Amino acid sequence: MKTLANFVVNGEPYELAIEPNLLLIEVLRDELGLTGTKHSCGVGNCGACTVLVEGEPVLACLSLAMAARGKAITTIEGLAEGPTLHPLQEAFIEVGAIQCGYCTPGMILTAKALLDKKPDPTEEDVREALAGNICRCTGYVKIIEAVLAAAEAMRKGAAR
Amino acid sequence: MNEEFSVVGKRIRQPDGPAKATGEAKFVGDLRMPGMLIAKVLRSPHAHARVAAIDTSRAEALPGVAAVLTPDDLEDWSGFDRGMKDMPLVAGGYRIPPEEQVVNRVARHYGDAVAAVAAVNEHIAEEALSLLEVEYEVLPFVLNAEEALRSGAPQVTEAAPGNIGKHLSYPYPEGDVDQALAEADLVVEGEFQTTKQDHCTQETAACLAYVDASGRLNVWSQCQLAHLARRELANIFNLPVHKVKIMTPFVGGSFGQRGALCAEPVAVALALKTNKPVKLVFSREDNFLGLESRTGFDNIHVRLGFKKDGTLTAIKTNMLGHLGGYMGCGPMASVIGMTLSMGHYRCPNRYGDADMVMTNIPVSGAMRGFGNDAMMFCIEQLVDEAAEKLGLDPIDIRLKNTKQPGETASMGLMLESSYLEDCMRAGAERFGWQELRSQPKETEGRIRRGCGMATMSHCTGAAPLYLEHSNAMVKFNEDGSVNLTVYPAPVGTHIWGALSQICAEELGIGVEDVSIVTGDTDITLFEYGSDASRSTYAIGGATLRAARKAKEQLLAHAAEMLEVPPDQLETRDRRVFSKADPNKSIDVGEVCYDAIYSFGGEATNFAGKQSFEPTWNSPTFGAYFAEVEVDTETGRVCVTRFVTAIDCGKAINPMAVEGQLEGGLQQGLGYALTENFLVNETTGKVETTNYDSYKVPGTLDMPHSEVIIVDKPDPKGPFGAKGVGEPGMVGIPPAIANAIYDAIGVRIHSLPMTPERILAALAEKDD
Amino acid sequence: MYRVLQPFEYLEAKSVDHAVELLTRLGPDARVIAGGTDLIISMKKRDLAPKALIAIGGLSELSFLEATTEGGLRIGPLVTHAAVAASEVVRERFEMLAVAAGEVGTPQVRNMGTLGGNVCKAGPSQDTPPVLIALEAVLTLRGPHGERSVPMGEFCTGPFCTVVAPEEVLTEITIPPLPEGSAGCYKWCTKITKVDETLAGAGVVLSLADDGTCKDVRIGLGSVAPTAIRARQAEGMLLGTKLEPGEVEAAAETAFTECMPRSRPGYRRHMVRVMVKDAVMELKEKIVGDSTSSDPGEAPR
Repeated sequence: MKTLANFVVNGEPYELAIEPNLLLIEVLRDELGLTGTKHSCGVGNCGACTVLVEGEPVLACLSLAMAARGKAITTIEGLAEGPTLHPLQEAFIEVGAIQCGYCTPGMILTAKALLDKKPDPTEEDVREALAGNICRCTGYVKIIEAVLAAAEAMRKGAAR
Repeated sequence: MNEEFSVVGKRIRQPDGPAKATGEAKFVGDLRMPGMLIAKVLRSPHAHARVAAIDTSRAEALPGVAAVLTPDDLEDWSGFDRGMKDMPLVAGGYRIPPEEQVVNRVARHYGDAVAAVAAVNEHIAEEALSLLEVEYEVLPFVLNAEEALRSGAPQVTEAAPGNIGKHLSYPYPEGDVDQALAEADLVVEGEFQTTKQDHCTQETAACLAYVDASGRLNVWSQCQLAHLARRELANIFNLPVHKVKIMTPFVGGSFGQRGALCAEPVAVALALKTNKPVKLVFSREDNFLGLESRTGFDNIHVRLGFKKDGTLTAIKTNMLGHLGGYMGCGPMASVIGMTLSMGHYRCPNRYGDADMVMTNIPVSGAMRGFGNDAMMFCIEQLVDEAAEKLGLDPIDIRLKNTKQPGETASMGLMLESSYLEDCMRAGAERFGWQELRSQPKETEGRIRRGCGMATMSHCTGAAPLYLEHSNAMVKFNEDGSVNLTVYPAPVGTHIWGALSQICAEELGIGVEDVSIVTGDTDITLFEYGSDASRSTYAIGGATLRAARKAKEQLLAHAAEMLEVPPDQLETRDRRVFSKADPNKSIDVGEVCYDAIYSFGGEATNFAGKQSFEPTWNSPTFGAYFAEVEVDTETGRVCVTRFVTAIDCGKAINPMAVEGQLEGGLQQGLGYALTENFLVNETTGKVETTNYDSYKVPGTLDMPHSEVIIVDKPDPKGPFGAKGVGEPGMVGIPPAIANAIYDAIGVRIHSLPMTPERILAALAEKDD
Repeated sequence: MYRVLQPFEYLEAKSVDHAVELLTRLGPDARVIAGGTDLIISMKKRDLAPKALIAIGGLSELSFLEATTEGGLRIGPLVTHAAVAASEVVRERFEMLAVAAGEVGTPQVRNMGTLGGNVCKAGPSQDTPPVLIALEAVLTLRGPHGERSVPMGEFCTGPFCTVVAPEEVLTEITIPPLPEGSAGCYKWCTKITKVDETLAGAGVVLSLADDGTCKDVRIGLGSVAPTAIRARQAEGMLLGTKLEPGEVEAAAETAFTECMPRSRPGYRRHMVRVMVKDAVMELKEKIVGDSTSSDPGEAPR
């Protein structure tokens, strides 16, 4: 039976009538049309479905939508401000850290959570933070480079 | 060719970067259409079973279910060539009866598709699957090639008596290999096993198909070879080619898996049956079970003959590979593998053959390297063994046998360029090869360090074996910007950027002045597609020549405007200028506008169209250096450092080249150490169907890695470029294997090189 | 495998007692859900199909992390693995637990999954149970008839089986203080890659007497038997000894025989031997104080 549920996604409030067995990824992609959050393994190993809930990286494919009600949810679509990209997005593009792009939303959001907590991470910190995000294209080299470059840009006071 | 380029060679940003970084980029699974149905596939829980009956009534009665697809629905179909390539010189697939591979009356491996449903949403589709009642007549199964060849073994398919799918030979034999082996000063030989590796594209297979009101079949597909997919679907469904339209959005990786039809046949069949748009998105388990993955070889027996001085005189190979339950691209893995590996070094006596055998496991196909990886794992270990026995440095023995330009390359064509020697020397220097090798060997202590190297060459495109037909169209717009129409696979290789660079360089405009028009078989000319590391070389070659044609027209018109003969004009920085007097110039846009907005009956739009089929093949060369630490108590191998030195001609975009090599290292590492596709020997069930059991390297598994791009141009490639998609992974397993030997004195002949195998080898050595 | 979940009723517990009441009323078709990672995977695989899920994730009364004056710890079951791993008080008092919690799943999974959820799942291949067994943790359960305490060693009865009754809710994980002068560590190896299920894990607590002999040792082994176990025989062999390499190796060998792994048995047993030996030797050095490194938890490469 559907219930009315309130979500806050990328700062916008939504009221949806949903069945309780919906996963957060279904609400985001199918109800709200935010397809940046991706399906991949479905069992918690690859991080493609990573979103931020209250700033923490969690897996949308293993979260019940009902449990995410009222919490601040950030998807990849919520990072840029209009045409102004987040420093992480800029860095990923500049450094060549995006190949097929499928892991990119999860990677960027997980990295954002790291930089919000640790503005000056070491390479090891970045590897540890991204240990739950699989990329099959890049070998992670430029992804790590991009995160460190974004960290530097953010410390120097980029737009965000 | 040491001229300075304007845009070629620069680390440019990719045009699709912002879409992917913001989540705006759409992949097939993201697409929606009104009235769209969601499809799901029912998979066999048995490794081999006849479907005696399917009761679809309960599934069909479920509200929201639009259709159930069973083999009965496929009676009207024509045959289906999984290999799709229609190439006489290559042992491809065979034309399989239609009921034998989309949904099947006989399940030939665990997870084989036996039925499918389409429903209004995913929840109902999944429920419908569970309501299908299938009566299976379980049959005996066979899981490996050796057993499949024994008399009395269960027959996987009537189309392959004795389970022999294909017997194939190395296409370029030479000399008398047995004689040469008999006469050799040293023969090294070994038997090796390589594993079935899954591509693990982060995006699973997906297809959205619909028939529009005019009766055209529209298919959103991930296929790397879109025009081939169009023709194949037209064939299967008895449609004229122009009634089929393939469109490709962004694709989440491919690595060769999408060179065959994946989700398309079922999605199209259901779209035709329901007359509604049908989207089929595979789960990760569907991917492991229902798609082709790297062809594994149960046994590769290689013999190498050498003279005392290290000259290679003979290579003899016998391969025994398994194809799985159907014949897809698997047979070609043996041919390509032998071709590229046995032709890598100079060797006057060469022979090889392969038996590719049907087995009741998921289908074998093409994955990055396509057999060259398996073969080089064997050859490069044997070369190292020979080096040790002959008292030669591993690099020196390889230098001795490296082919030089002018010699015949591995596919029978003349070798145009080779900087393999540069790769070895530059790689060795960066890696610190000499210093590391001269250090005294640790013989005690739990952790042992070692270093090893390997080389390889890989084709750039597969002329003359494959159809290498590409097309490009370049048109100038009113303002001097350009639309470039091409159809490479948008799987993340940065190809759009490379083609834009090639186009812009030729035309003397900026990369930002070029827009790529792609992804639709209606608007593109025939394009073979992206595989065999060909896109930059072949599609780039077509782009270069099409741009040249458009430029000729531009210059002809500019000549009139500037009153300078066309052959004295050049373009740079968006201007056409007189070579003799550069101040005499005009903006490219002005020339284009003048031609389009012409009112005298002579209006024209400058455009160049070029069909291009390279009849040459410029192999890419690489040298790979690995440093490992082996824990002799746990058997664990940690690759601490890796250096790849590549000769892929001129790097159009060094960032993209690095990306291919850095990414290839992840896949190579997985193939070498961590990825194990496991089938239960008792039940025939595939045990590794998701990332919880099938392990691909993550950030914490990767070594410190460096890439060296030799960056010397090839005479044939566009601006000197050669391919680089596959070389990134071919040399990695043997480099690691050779490093393991250096560390602990044992050779591992089976992939993956697991801790158990290493401990067993150490124990055997101590005995 | 399925990507979506079958239908169920979703109820939010207002308190622990309310959760117990709901569980009692709805029977075994109802389950509590906290972080949900394990539960949802099981539901996707159709291994479990609860008709009702009782959400307890919002109950602050189950989310606490308190140091006791005696030197122990009281942990609420809803504390996430990430919080346990990062907690200063956990790192200070029971660093091996922080290390083990830091190894569960991936960073995202650690943000979601709870210590209580992990313990109640009782999977054979987990990181926290062998540590909790070695720490002699006690689990408090509340049911319709009141509360009861169960030592960790008796909590799991088989793979995915615990003594928790269908109407009970885990309310606390209590860790008693370690004996004076003892040290603990968690050693493990993963199955294949660095981020992966645990192949074998050893949580070891060691105390030395004044004369340097082994006064007390607890060896908790994980992923090598249907449940996490104490390697009692190995422990017995070490008591009173000077922990010479030969003695430690013999005990590690015994631990090897106490395991009953189902898959990859040879290699798992072998790794138990390696890890028990590594753990005991490292702890001995640490306590004696002549070691250069004080890293309490490390995975062999």
